[in-house]
Amino acid sequence: MKARRVKGLDPEGELAVNAYRIVAVRLDELEALALPALEHGEAGALHDMRIASKRLRYVLEMTAPALGEAAREGAKTAKALQDVLGEIHDCDEMLPRIGARIARLRDSDADALRAAAGDGAKDLDPAAAAETPNGTHYRGLEVLSVYLTARRAVLFDRLSDQWAELEPQGFAAELLEGLSDARAPRAPTGEAAP
Amino acid sequence: MAKAAPIPGLEPRARFGDAAAAAVEIRSAEVFEHARGVLDINDIERVHDMRVATRRLRAALEVFATCFPNKRHRGLLAEVKALADALGERRDPDVAIEELTKVANGLGAAERPGIAGLIEELHAEQLDGNRVLAGVLLGVHECGLEDRLAELARSARAEQEQTS
Repeated sequence: MKARRVKGLDPEGELAVNAYRIVAVRLDELEALALPALEHGEAGALHDMRIASKRLRYVLEMTAPALGEAAREGAKTAKALQDVLGEIHDCDEMLPRIGARIARLRDSDADALRAAAGDGAKDLDPAAAAETPNGTHYRGLEVLSVYLTARRAVLFDRLSDQWAELEPQGFAAELLEGLSDARAPRAPTGEAAP
Repeated sequence: MAKAAPIPGLEPRARFGDAAAAAVEIRSAEVFEHARGVLDINDIERVHDMRVATRRLRAALEVFATCFPNKRHRGLLAEVKALADALGERRDPDVAIEELTKVANGLGAAERPGIAGLIEELHAEQLDGNRVLAGVLLGVHECGLEDRLAELARSARAEQEQTS
């Protein structure tokens, strides 16, 4: 997923001002992607949300020494989202892989039994079922698939709760407000900063 | 996981370009510090540390993109991404093996062969990933990625000095 372009960045400008602009866009991006991801729980949408939370986390981590506590807290929140999204992603990667492996083993076992029956066979003896080369493998893979399906559901509920607790608009507003302090205008020489 | 080194001069009012140069210099140095022993599959933390350092460098290049000469930046970002991908290909099986082993340990003897077969498949991927990573690391060394990243960082500073 390509990151949204941040307008108005200036290499000659102050770090805090530029960082604020980037964070605002990355927050907006995360909120926009969270909506479809949490509504349907589809793997692709959750993947996009994970990338968005990662981008937000990294810009906040990178600039936290300049932007202060709000950035550090925001980075922690983004990391917590990214972590649970990462665990869901791992389930989404592994589940089809298990399915494909079961299908491969099944085809290979069927081929082996067919070959063992010989060219002239009229039927297959039921006892041949006990001779499948990978017969002991299916059960473990099916159990693993069940476990990962259930784990994904648990993680998805956790993610939904985490997001609901953030009250998305409140999180963004609070973070941006916190960052604003760091980019407050410089006090004129000789005057104390407000 | 190794803690990221502090970036000197990262003050709210620091020039964005200066911060960019410092961030790329520090994060790039961290990547190459972690390169030693990264192909040792008996110590999976090494590849993890280098992967994390590469991610941080990539993030620095992306966050500060506007401060660097466009074409050179794009090329180097693509090279860093290729390195990150190779580290990821090697690291992903490590993580999966660890997780599957935990699940298998909680299961009975009847379920274990299926998971053991899958772990075996992942071990093969780990070795493939290591071969690919070895090639990428050689390429990174031969094409002087470290020096070119340092030059990119310098160019951000130089451009800024010219314009100020």
